[in-house]
Amino acid sequence: MDPSRIRNFSIIAHIDHGKSTLADRLLEATGALSEREMTEQVLDSMDLERERGITIKAHAVRLNYMAEDGQTYQLNLIDTPGHVDFTYEVARSLQACEAALLVIDATQGVEAQTLANTYLALHHNLEIIPVINKIDLPAAEPERIRQQIEEVIGLDGAGALEVSAKQGIGIHEVLEAIVHRAPPPRGNPEGPLRALIFDSWYDPYRGVITLLRVVDGTIRVGQKIRLMAHNKSFEVEGLGYQSPKRVPCEELTAGEVGYMFANIKTVSDARIGDTVTDDLDPAPEALPGFEEIKPMVFAGLYPVESHQHGELREALEKLRLNDSSFSFEPESSAALGFGFRCGFLGLLHLEIVQERLEREFGLDLITTAPGVRYRVHTRGGEVIEVDNPTKFPSAAEIESVEEPIIEATVITRDEYLGEILKLLEEKRGVQKKFEYLGAGRVMLTYELPLNEIVLDFYDRLKSASRGYASLDYHLAGYRTAPMVKLDVLVAGEPVDALSIIVHRDFAYERGKELIGRLRKLIPRQMFEVALQAAIGSRVIARETIPAMRKNVLAKCYGGDVTRKRKLLEKQKEGKRRLKRIGRVDIPQEAFLSVLKVGAED
Amino acid sequence: MAGVYLSYPFCRQKCTYCNFASGVSTRQAERDYLAALLEEIRAHAWQWRPETVYLGGGSPDRIEPEALETLLAGIPGRPWREATIEAAPGEITPEKAQAWRRAGIRRASLGVQSFVRSEIARTGRRHTAEQVAADVATLRASGIRSINIDLIAGLPGQSIESWRESLDWVERLDAGHVSVYMLEVDEDSRLGREILRGGSRFGAPETPDEDLIPELYELAVERLERAGFAHYEISNFARPGEESLHNLKYWRLEPYAGFGADAHSFDGVQRIRNVESAAEYIERIRQGRSPVAEQEPARLDEESLFLGLRLLEGVRLPPELRRRYEAPIRRFVETGLLEFRGEALRLTRRGVLLSNEVFQEFIQI
Repeated sequence: MDPSRIRNFSIIAHIDHGKSTLADRLLEATGALSEREMTEQVLDSMDLERERGITIKAHAVRLNYMAEDGQTYQLNLIDTPGHVDFTYEVARSLQACEAALLVIDATQGVEAQTLANTYLALHHNLEIIPVINKIDLPAAEPERIRQQIEEVIGLDGAGALEVSAKQGIGIHEVLEAIVHRAPPPRGNPEGPLRALIFDSWYDPYRGVITLLRVVDGTIRVGQKIRLMAHNKSFEVEGLGYQSPKRVPCEELTAGEVGYMFANIKTVSDARIGDTVTDDLDPAPEALPGFEEIKPMVFAGLYPVESHQHGELREALEKLRLNDSSFSFEPESSAALGFGFRCGFLGLLHLEIVQERLEREFGLDLITTAPGVRYRVHTRGGEVIEVDNPTKFPSAAEIESVEEPIIEATVITRDEYLGEILKLLEEKRGVQKKFEYLGAGRVMLTYELPLNEIVLDFYDRLKSASRGYASLDYHLAGYRTAPMVKLDVLVAGEPVDALSIIVHRDFAYERGKELIGRLRKLIPRQMFEVALQAAIGSRVIARETIPAMRKNVLAKCYGGDVTRKRKLLEKQKEGKRRLKRIGRVDIPQEAFLSVLKVGAED
Repeated sequence: MAGVYLSYPFCRQKCTYCNFASGVSTRQAERDYLAALLEEIRAHAWQWRPETVYLGGGSPDRIEPEALETLLAGIPGRPWREATIEAAPGEITPEKAQAWRRAGIRRASLGVQSFVRSEIARTGRRHTAEQVAADVATLRASGIRSINIDLIAGLPGQSIESWRESLDWVERLDAGHVSVYMLEVDEDSRLGREILRGGSRFGAPETPDEDLIPELYELAVERLERAGFAHYEISNFARPGEESLHNLKYWRLEPYAGFGADAHSFDGVQRIRNVESAAEYIERIRQGRSPVAEQEPARLDEESLFLGLRLLEGVRLPPELRRRYEAPIRRFVETGLLEFRGEALRLTRRGVLLSNEVFQEFIQI
């Protein structure tokens, strides 16, 4: 296709601002789908995506649009994931485009995530086309939003389109704007092949399927290609594009977007951001932006039923075929048995993986408290990275500890400012910027320890602002902090699964809360049980579970011996499911509830 | 020697704490049930001459005197060594009591549960302490001299003080036998369900806790022993010679034949259970089918422990069992839940309250 007739664009929006609905309308208006075929949110195909209203995997759909100028254009809509956990993936998707529709809810205005992704898009020199959505709502304030677009983002507010994706208003104008305002793809159609991988997933029949944006040259079926990050060669077995059904084709030319499969066995060989080139005539340089992304949040995953350990391993391996951004390695816990230490991009990523494991693989899991990776400087002059509390060196061996710091942007309304500042303070935040965005909106920029975010920050932020705060963050480095390992002891025995790494100043509070919760969850034993929270050998909080007073059946009424036996059997069976720590039997549920983040009473 | 149990699963009202398969029904259903019960008794091939008879339920005191006479006439061995009827206090007339006496009844078990008005009211029962006293007098005047009083430790609103009041009444009435049950909180009773779901009906929020209930129980043990009762079974107390001979059979693995819905039998080999629902029971008998829902071989070794140990005199274990359970027995002796008194192995005072923990070790699953 002549690059001058191609437009590659994505849609940026805050959650619930209407990205998926707009995408659906564009598909409908260009005849890619008939109205009858439309199920809501066609592009979010994973069950999880639909339920949560978020996009986890990227998509690329080709739309053929006959514009007012009488020409037919190939519009490629590249749908990107929309969450802070996936900033890297978003950046790569944006890199595949020349323009972005910036969707802003006419009643809500600009949010932190919108802003972050807009900056990301501007960083990649994308043409931004602001779209004010939901103008049909009575509370819509398009004029205020235009003003915000100018003041907050620094774009021309007059050029913003007024749309109601739900009602189908302004869709035609959006398509025309894409044709006339989005630049055609740059790139050299004659040069050596360079194509950007902006997503990949594993398909059991075809191997890894990648989504590509051809930048230079042409890619053809049968061509020998090379993936530049790891210098591995493959032969292209199939090419095509989604419309939104898959349509096979023989070649993809410069500027075009489509999918490829090339008998690639694992997604880690076709990583997002990697460059595809010709194996015989390779480009001298890869496309910019490729990074090996590293997990930031870590947690132990354990099967509730210990015999499911093998199944969990298989499930993790399968998931990893599709998701190279999480890691796992075996670990074992005295309390929970055999499991895996897993690394994730963030909390949402953790939740998604956990939910997919449970839903798609039928596993029942216990997840230990999520934590981050610390850099521990030992007295011996070594620097070790620790993401598992049980591997945290003893205080005597530690010279200092550095913890990962993020720069977080929070946008909210000034009426919630007091509560939010208090929260940020409590979470050891350091204020970097404080800006008024006009119309009662404030943007806060803070440095915060990542550790504090993984605990319960999202929920707390939401409740402090009644939902009127948005958050975006990125890793900003490491900072020394007095982190200590907090152990929980049950009847004198440390319970490894409950150990956490915590700031010294919060140790008492966290310890007290942990054992307070445990006290309610551990059933009485035949003897008194002490619960302690300790740093090293120093006990900082203590609770006691009194001894069991009674377990007795009153009657053997009318000679019903069978019922009595059944009750005894049931009790005995119940005991088998308990995990024994030292002399104490702890129900699985106790671990589950204690480990549940933010499960306050 | 064997016992006979007759089940009469009908009541005037369903008590809030009740977790049995009994309840309120129509008079017609009660008549149909009696007919079926009579039929089951008539059809029974007696292998032994019963020594004890126990009419339980439910409220068998609701059975008309003539019908009761007909029922009991079908059971061989009258006059039996012991014949008990369970009765709801407040419903006993001299005529009824005399009719019971004529039919061979010599013992009455009163479902008092509490003598404290506010506690009784919340169980759904309708008597007062004074009515219980009048009932006891009526029974005695009719020649039914063995009286048991059922009490429940753990009723909503109960306190040490109110419990003392109930125990005072037991002494005042000079009953020969007392059963003290600790409240069972389970899905099978209305009160249990209410407690489990955290509701406020039936006084559920005022139910004594895990610590108070055993305290009430121990207070009862102390008071009753001082008053001359022997604590002969986990829940049972008797003046000398007043032990329930029928109930002793359950704990000593002696045979008994049960008739009626949800009645249980033990022939020395098999444990047999009739269908639980009265309607199904009636239906089956009408169709000439067996009312037995389930039967399985008794596991005598295990039962001799988890039933036998309920008796405070303990059990004399044959050497083979003593060897088989050597390890758990040693452990429980060390932790003070079991003790040897001469040759007999028995529960200690603390072991009584934790008896399920002990029994579990003696059953195989």
